[in-house]
Amino acid sequence: MTTTRLPSATGTRSGAAGTTPAVELRDLTKTFRTPTGPVTAVGGIDLTITPGEVVAVLGPNGAGKTTTLDMLLGLTDPTSGSVEVFGLPPRDAIAAARVSAVLQTGGLLHDLTVGETVRLIASTYPRPAPVADVLERAGLTGLADRRVSKCSGGEQQRLRFALALLPEPDLLVLDEPTAGMDVTARRDFWAAMHAEAARGRTVVFATHYLEEADAFADRIVVVADGRVIADGTTAEIRSRASGRTVHATLPAHLTFDERHAALVALRRHPGAAGVQVTDDRVSVVATDSDAIARTLLVDVGAHDLEVVSGSLDEAFVALTANDHATDHATDHTATESEETR
Amino acid sequence: MNTTYLGLEIRRFARDRANLFFVVVLPAFLYVIFGATQAASDLPLGNGNVGLYIMVSMAAYGAVTATVGVGGMAAVERLQGWGRQLGLTPLPDIGFVAVKAALAVLVSLLPVALIAVVGALSGASGTAAAWMLSLLAVAAGSVVFALFGLCAGLAFRSEGAVSAAGGIVVILAFLGNVFVPLSGTLLEIAKFTPLYGYAALARYPVTEGRLIANDGTDLGTEPLWVPLLNLGVWCTVLGVVAVLLVRRGRARQ
Repeated sequence: MTTTRLPSATGTRSGAAGTTPAVELRDLTKTFRTPTGPVTAVGGIDLTITPGEVVAVLGPNGAGKTTTLDMLLGLTDPTSGSVEVFGLPPRDAIAAARVSAVLQTGGLLHDLTVGETVRLIASTYPRPAPVADVLERAGLTGLADRRVSKCSGGEQQRLRFALALLPEPDLLVLDEPTAGMDVTARRDFWAAMHAEAARGRTVVFATHYLEEADAFADRIVVVADGRVIADGTTAEIRSRASGRTVHATLPAHLTFDERHAALVALRRHPGAAGVQVTDDRVSVVATDSDAIARTLLVDVGAHDLEVVSGSLDEAFVALTANDHATDHATDHTATESEETR
Repeated sequence: MNTTYLGLEIRRFARDRANLFFVVVLPAFLYVIFGATQAASDLPLGNGNVGLYIMVSMAAYGAVTATVGVGGMAAVERLQGWGRQLGLTPLPDIGFVAVKAALAVLVSLLPVALIAVVGALSGASGTAAAWMLSLLAVAAGSVVFALFGLCAGLAFRSEGAVSAAGGIVVILAFLGNVFVPLSGTLLEIAKFTPLYGYAALARYPVTEGRLIANDGTDLGTEPLWVPLLNLGVWCTVLGVVAVLLVRRGRARQ
């Protein structure tokens, strides 16, 4: 498998010589022992994040995002490879209050109040931010006396966020921070995050919501099967979708053989990166949408033609599918999708 | 020691009324059954009487039950994700163990105090030094069993393990010479178990090391270093294991 790093991404990121990276992962791997044999959660990740960047780690469930962040935070030791946070081992960066995190669900004491929880965690830092200040920034001012067990999922997540603000960290790590939040809570959360990023904090967040990565990050690292399969700006990742998808309906009068011949022709078309058929509707991921449209209308006689430009969603599907395919050329997000019938 | 954390832990414990009742009242009840109502309790023994001897034993048992419970609950809450949250803070692993051990010792003072009051009212008697030193040993030594509860919960990663640890305490209490005086081979084995050192140390101010079998036979005198060594070794072993297990508990479960 090949790790694709976009040229421009490499160029700009490594250009910041002289500054200590906020995060430096080198050939990081993690293998878990299970009853059915070892499972590789992270299969060799290299990643450098410079101070001030807002980076989304995007990938499907089970891609290795949480395990990677756990190693970044020193919660789990890597099987091999190295992790540095501001040039320090992760536990030292935590001890120096340089980094904090909002983890996924769990991790709160239900019989404490919101205010008590913040006071407790604050007591572990030598110079914490004032409790009242942190409660306000996380939108919890009115809830200080409420038991954690009586808080909604979104309120508990805001509490975890408040706890993460206590050390005034240089690096803030968020693992699926809005999981389980409704739309309003999600919007409020990201508004609060924007305010923190504006204070110059480096932010790294894992998500499987593309729209969150798109709206909030200035750089997206796509992870699948424990590896980085793409790394670039939001626009760059989007452009990695083969541009456009052409949809059309096949003529009803085609015989089985004619239909088969038409699909083979489309698959072999130099302007096609992937072909999918559902009933009579054919979708072609196109590198040359004009040529594909011509073939469909003139040679095949298809109708109801639509040309749709690639969404980040499709880029993501294409990227992850590419990773599953064999040793494909790195540049093309060719999906050799199976014909559905 | 993080006193803010310890203060909040005390407040949490006080909120759990049902647990508080069992932790505080049950050992005193056991003392009434085993000690205060026994005919032999007025017989003189060392620096006190048999009643005081049984009272100290039951106080030790009560303290152990309380501290194992506190340690076990600490383990369960760590495994439910609190360990990961604390793992994001500069609080060292030994700092967490210290807060929970201190909480356990403070909690154990409650059943010990109640037993002392019941004992004083029901015929346990002895010199002031015997009373003071015995109860002090009960309180201070109970820290070992906070570590025991913490280790049991963290090692087996379930609330069931904490209940099991409570059951093991009963067995260890028998082996520890707490309920019934042992003799022979069983006594030789018992000397390596953790409650033996603890109970023997707590009773030392009363007995000055004299061992008596169940039928009243004098088994001679045991030097003070035997319980001290027993307790010291167990405290070190369980303390190191607890810190190692806390470290492991930061990963996702």
